[in-house]
Amino acid sequence: MSRVYNWQLGREMDYPFEGVRPEKQFAMIFDTNKCIACQTCTVACKTTWTSGRGQEQMLWNNVETKPYGYYPLGWDVNILDKHGVQEMDGPEYQGRTLFEAAPDGEIVLGYTPDDEDWAYPNIGEDDCTGSMEQGALLTMPHMQWMYYLPRICNHCTYPACLSACPRQSIYKRPEDGIVLLDQQRCRGYRECVKGCPYKKVMFNPVTRVSEKCIGCYPAIENNRQTQCTITCIGKIRLQGFISRPDEIREDNPMDYLIHGAKIGKPLYPQFGLEPNTFYIPPIHVPPQYLRQMFGWGVEDAIDTYKRASEDPQLLGAMLLFGATPEIIHHFKVEGRNVIGYDAKRAEVVRVPMREPIYMRVEYDSDLDVHRTNVT
Amino acid sequence: MNKTALHCSLATLVVAMVVAPMAAADTLRAVPVDATGPFNDPEAAFWEEAPTVTVRLNPQQVTRPHHADIAVTELTVRAVNNGTWLGILIEWEDDTRDDWFLTDAFGDQVAVQFPVEGPASPMMGNPGGKVNILQWRAAFQRDLVDGEPDIRDLYPYALVDVYPDEVLRVTDARAFAGAMGVDNPVARPFESPVLEQMAEGWGSLTVKPMQHADGWGVWEDGTWRVAITRPANQVMPGDPDLSPGTDTLAAFAVWDGGNREVGGRKSWSSWIDLKVEE
Repeated sequence: MSRVYNWQLGREMDYPFEGVRPEKQFAMIFDTNKCIACQTCTVACKTTWTSGRGQEQMLWNNVETKPYGYYPLGWDVNILDKHGVQEMDGPEYQGRTLFEAAPDGEIVLGYTPDDEDWAYPNIGEDDCTGSMEQGALLTMPHMQWMYYLPRICNHCTYPACLSACPRQSIYKRPEDGIVLLDQQRCRGYRECVKGCPYKKVMFNPVTRVSEKCIGCYPAIENNRQTQCTITCIGKIRLQGFISRPDEIREDNPMDYLIHGAKIGKPLYPQFGLEPNTFYIPPIHVPPQYLRQMFGWGVEDAIDTYKRASEDPQLLGAMLLFGATPEIIHHFKVEGRNVIGYDAKRAEVVRVPMREPIYMRVEYDSDLDVHRTNVT
Repeated sequence: MNKTALHCSLATLVVAMVVAPMAAADTLRAVPVDATGPFNDPEAAFWEEAPTVTVRLNPQQVTRPHHADIAVTELTVRAVNNGTWLGILIEWEDDTRDDWFLTDAFGDQVAVQFPVEGPASPMMGNPGGKVNILQWRAAFQRDLVDGEPDIRDLYPYALVDVYPDEVLRVTDARAFAGAMGVDNPVARPFESPVLEQMAEGWGSLTVKPMQHADGWGVWEDGTWRVAITRPANQVMPGDPDLSPGTDTLAAFAVWDGGNREVGGRKSWSSWIDLKVEE
């Protein structure tokens, strides 16, 4: 067991392998406030990658309604229950990670979902935390809540799937930090399915080996963002690379949003895997719930997010979401535009900070019609 | 694993390597029989001519993951040879016949292992200590009887519109076939439920490119009876020498799928002496 540094926990922790960080790390940010659970990402992923035999029920990307949606059933409450209550308050995590909480004979604390748990990807969809009194909808804020949580593999810095595999069939690419499962080497033991707390490794019962999200690596190698990102109609995602904690660049939109503005929060950081997908927390959800899911600092993140219109740098970075299929490595706010650049600093996108307004006369004399603002 | 646990594991391994043959059960005698090989019929009459040896099993606890609560603690083993083929018959009690894979369903398996090179650890060998492993897998035997399951055999109401291999050329469809497309040995079909492999320590198990072993299992009244057979003489480099007159070793491992035993979660034996009689 090695000691590795986990920046999300602000401390060192035990991990079965040496802590070697990749040159670049695949990362994604989701704005949960903009997600409408249309599942376009889910379908884009499905049609791109999981149309084969044995993948019929498999969703590498899914969107679930929180608090009562799960894929697979109960994945997070199950592992939270096994993990038990942990002390979690910044800037250093006092509780135990899943590696530190591993029972005797195991690499990591985990559990194998029942087969049926994968059968309800839409369970809890749009369910609120409770019912409302007659007329209560007219008062604000509403006392009941729900929100959508889109999920892919977190391509963790310290993957539990990788460490749990006794054959080392799972590896983390040094060039981009994408975690891949070798389809030739895997023997279908399902230790990864048991070990991954996010349950993002899935068993294919026809090929009899496990499979997982591949981070659209053929796209990434061609400087293109993932399918789930570029097809998102709500423009809620930004995919790029997060720098090593000691090499943060403020002109990298991922670094800026996660380390600079601190509005992108990791999913269940207390598990200790240093996941590399980040969430802008929903602004209307009780902070106790959000602290458990995204760690400390959610209140500050929401506060900063709400004031984005006052901060051109933050607003500019957020306008890059869904603006181009290309991966943005650098960005700059210049005058009335935010400009995204590729790794060689060539401009790939230019987004106006304020949407231009076009005024149209109400009466069209050529056609002799009155144009009304009806949609 | 902390350092103390690692040291304990290494100590266990070293002790097992040194004392295992002496601590083992009676010698397993592969008696000569007048029968034609391969010996892949577990219900053949000639097995009665071979003396039985009881092999004690312990949970694998040297490398993680462990499964301390193993289901099978004892095997009954017999061996025969006819100068060309060696046969091993393994019997153990198992209340459930598990020959089906789902996320939470694991298959019954049994393996016999022979040393090939150097003083090899009974625990799948060690670097420099090669072993030959013949593994029988219940689910793969079921494939041979019933055909490989498709999604509707596993989930009768599964919805399918079209598969890539129905509309693309074979070479183009391979990329969508996952492990099947790269000829993964647990995904691709075999002609025998016994897979011939080699290892040089845990995590190194590798399927041999040429398969010579065979076998078959019968489950009846809560007992598995599995025959495993391979040529007695070395056919390829890396094969064990099991020709008549040879004194060698054998070790065993069992997985009870119903107890979620898979991979390192298994029961295994130390080396026992194997005498291939002339």
